[in-house]
Amino acid sequence: MSEIGYVAAREMKIGFRNPWAYSFTALFALFMLSLLLINAQGYVKGYSGSSSTMLNLALYLLPLMALMLGSFSLTGEKEEGNWELLSTYPLGTWAFLTGKYIGLSAVLLAIVAFGFGLSGAAGWLLGGGFDVSTYRQLLVFSVSLSLFFLGAAMLVGTIARNRWQALTIAVGVWFFAVIAWPSILIAALGMMPYPWIKPAVTALTFLNPAELTRLFTVVKLGGGSTLGPEYYNWMVWIRSPWGTAVFLGVMMVWIGLALAVAYSLWERGRGRD
Amino acid sequence: MAFCSRWCFCVLIVLAVCLPSGQARAEEEALDLQTVLDQAKPGETIDLQPGTYEGPITINKPLTLRPEREGEVILRNGSLQPAISISADQTTVAGLHIIDEAVKEAPTVLVTGDRVVLEGLQIRTGADGIVVRDADEGVVTRTTIDWAAEGVRMADKGNGIDLFNAHRWRMLDNTIRDVHDGIYMESSDNASVSGNVIERSRYGVHCMYTKGTMIERNVGMLNVTGAMVMTARQVSVTGNTFAKQSENVNSQGILLYDAHETIVADNTVDGNRVGLYVEQSTGNRLENNRISYNFIGIQLLESHENTITANQFFGNVADAQARGSESNALSGNYWDSFRGIDADGDGKSDISYAINPFFQGMTQKRPAFQLFFQSPGMVFLEGLYQTERDRWSTDSAPLMAPPDGGLQIGAMDGGSETGVAGFVLLGCSSLLFYRMRRRGT
Repeated sequence: MSEIGYVAAREMKIGFRNPWAYSFTALFALFMLSLLLINAQGYVKGYSGSSSTMLNLALYLLPLMALMLGSFSLTGEKEEGNWELLSTYPLGTWAFLTGKYIGLSAVLLAIVAFGFGLSGAAGWLLGGGFDVSTYRQLLVFSVSLSLFFLGAAMLVGTIARNRWQALTIAVGVWFFAVIAWPSILIAALGMMPYPWIKPAVTALTFLNPAELTRLFTVVKLGGGSTLGPEYYNWMVWIRSPWGTAVFLGVMMVWIGLALAVAYSLWERGRGRD
Repeated sequence: MAFCSRWCFCVLIVLAVCLPSGQARAEEEALDLQTVLDQAKPGETIDLQPGTYEGPITINKPLTLRPEREGEVILRNGSLQPAISISADQTTVAGLHIIDEAVKEAPTVLVTGDRVVLEGLQIRTGADGIVVRDADEGVVTRTTIDWAAEGVRMADKGNGIDLFNAHRWRMLDNTIRDVHDGIYMESSDNASVSGNVIERSRYGVHCMYTKGTMIERNVGMLNVTGAMVMTARQVSVTGNTFAKQSENVNSQGILLYDAHETIVADNTVDGNRVGLYVEQSTGNRLENNRISYNFIGIQLLESHENTITANQFFGNVADAQARGSESNALSGNYWDSFRGIDADGDGKSDISYAINPFFQGMTQKRPAFQLFFQSPGMVFLEGLYQTERDRWSTDSAPLMAPPDGGLQIGAMDGGSETGVAGFVLLGCSSLLFYRMRRRGT
C-alpha cells in the first residue's frame, strides 16, 4: 500500500511540474470559457443544444489529453531509464501501475476541476451559466471520461516503446473511439442481418468508453428519448438509481481490465529483462 | 311554476338535512335528485343545495342545473352508468363536483343533445370525462377533469373530452390532467379549443378527420404529444405553448400527419423531444413559432408544398431533420446554430441553410443506429455526406438575427449554487497546483 502511495506521490510531483499539464489546463480552461461565451445569452440546462455541444467538445479534448498524459508518463519512464532504476527497488509492477494511475488521475482531475471551476464561476458572474444539476452531470461526465481513457492510456504506454510510438497509438485510439466510431459501426454492421444490428451495437458500445459515457450522460440529462424506441428499456434503466451504480461498476471493471492487461504485458517484459 | 319551484326547494331542504345520515339513504337521495329532474318543467332552473347527491342522473329535457350558492355540490356515482347523461338540447350543467371513480366503459358525462353548456364542473373520473356523440354547438368551459383511478396504464385511461360527430363545439379554459387524450375530436368540424391546460396525458389536443378546428392559446406540459393533428384540413394551431413533451420516445410538441391547409403560427414549443413534426402533410403554413431547447427542432418527412417561415430555432440539440421533403417554401427562419453571411445588409443570409438528410435516412432504415444521435463521430460523418445537395430541404434565406431580439432567459434556479461550486473547484485545483509546484522545488 505504501508502495502505491509512494509511486502516486512521485507521479503527482512529476505531473504537476510537467509543462504538458499546464498547456492542457490552459487549453481546457480556454475551451470551457469560449463555450460559455458562445452560449452567453442562454442558460445551460438539461439536454439542449449547448450541453450537447459541450459534451461533444469534451469528447474531442479529454480522451486525447488523458491518452497523451498517461502514455507519455509510462513511456517516459522507459526512455529515461527510470524503470530500470525502479526495477532494482523492491517495488511490484502492480504497485507501480496503480500508483501511476492514481497520481495521473489526480493531475488530470485537477485540470478538469480547474476548467469546470473557471467556467462555473465565470458563468455565474456573467449572469448566465449552468443549472446546478446539469453542471454536476457534465462534471461527472468529464471525470468519468478522463478516468476511462487514463485506463486506456496505461495500456498504450505499456505497449509503446517510446513517446513517438505512444503518440501514434494514442491518436489512433482517440480517432477510432471518438471520430470514426459511428462510421466504422455503420459500415461494418450495415452488412449484417437486420436482427443482429442492435445486439452488436449494444455490445460494442460497452467496449467504447467514449460512447458509453456519452450515452449515460445524455440519458441522465433527460435526453434518453432521442435514442428512439429501440433503446427504450435502456433509457428507463439508466435513469433508475441502479443506472449509476452499474455505470460505476462497468467503469471499474473496464479500468481494472485495462490495468490487468497492462500488468501482464509489463510483467512479461520484466521477465525478459 | 311558482308552486313547482317551492316544491323543489322543499325537497332540497329535506335532502340537505338528510345528508349526514349516510349510506343507508343513498338510494333514496339518488331517487330524489332524479325525481326533481323528472318533475321539473322544460326550461326550468334547478338550484342545488350544497351537499352530496348520488348519481347516475339523466336529463332529458332542457334544464339548468347549478348550485344554489357557492359551495360544494357533489354528485357521486358508483354505478357503471354515466354520472350525468344529457340527451336534451339547451341544457346547462354548472358548478358541480362530479366524483365518478369507477373504471368503466361509460363516460362520466354523456352528451347527446345540441347546444349543451357545461360550465365550471370539477370531474374526477375513472373513465372518459365528457363524451359528446352526434350533438352540435355545445360549450365546455372552466371545467377541470382529473383521472382518479390508481394503477391504470395510460393506454387504458379514458379521454378528457371526447367528441364524435359533434360540430361547432367550444372548449374554453378547461384544465385536464392525467388522462389518455386531453381533448379528442373525431369527425367533428369547426371546434374551437382555446385557453385549456392539459398535463401528463397522452395527447393534449387530438384531431382526427376534422376540418376547421381552431386550437388557440392552450398550454400543454409533460404529455406524450402536445397537439396532434391527423388527417385533418384547415386546422389552425395558434398561440399555444407546448413544453416538456420529452419523456416518451414518440414525443412531440406539435404533430401534423396527413394534415392539409393548416396554419401553425405563434406557438412556443419548448423542451420537447421533437418540436414540430410534419409527416405526409401538404399546403400547411408554419410561421412565427418559437422552437427552443427541443432535442430536434423540426422534423419534415415526406411533406410537400408547406410554407415554413419566420420561425425561431434556439438551443435545440439538432435544429432540423428532413427526408423526402423537397418542395417546401422554407425561408426566413432563424437558426441559432447557423452562422450566415449577409453582404447586402438585408438581415437575411446570402448563403442558405441546408438540412442534412443523412442521419434521418439512415435511422429510418436501421433504427438501431439512432444511438449515434449527435455523437461527435456522427456530426463528423454528416459533414462528409454531401451528395445530392440540391434535393435537401433548404432554408433559402435564413435570418441573421432572431426577429424580436432573441429569447428571454428562463428562470435561473440554482445559478448561484453553480457559481459557488465553481469557485470551490477553482480554489481547490489552484491550491493543488500551487502546493505541488512548491513542494517540488
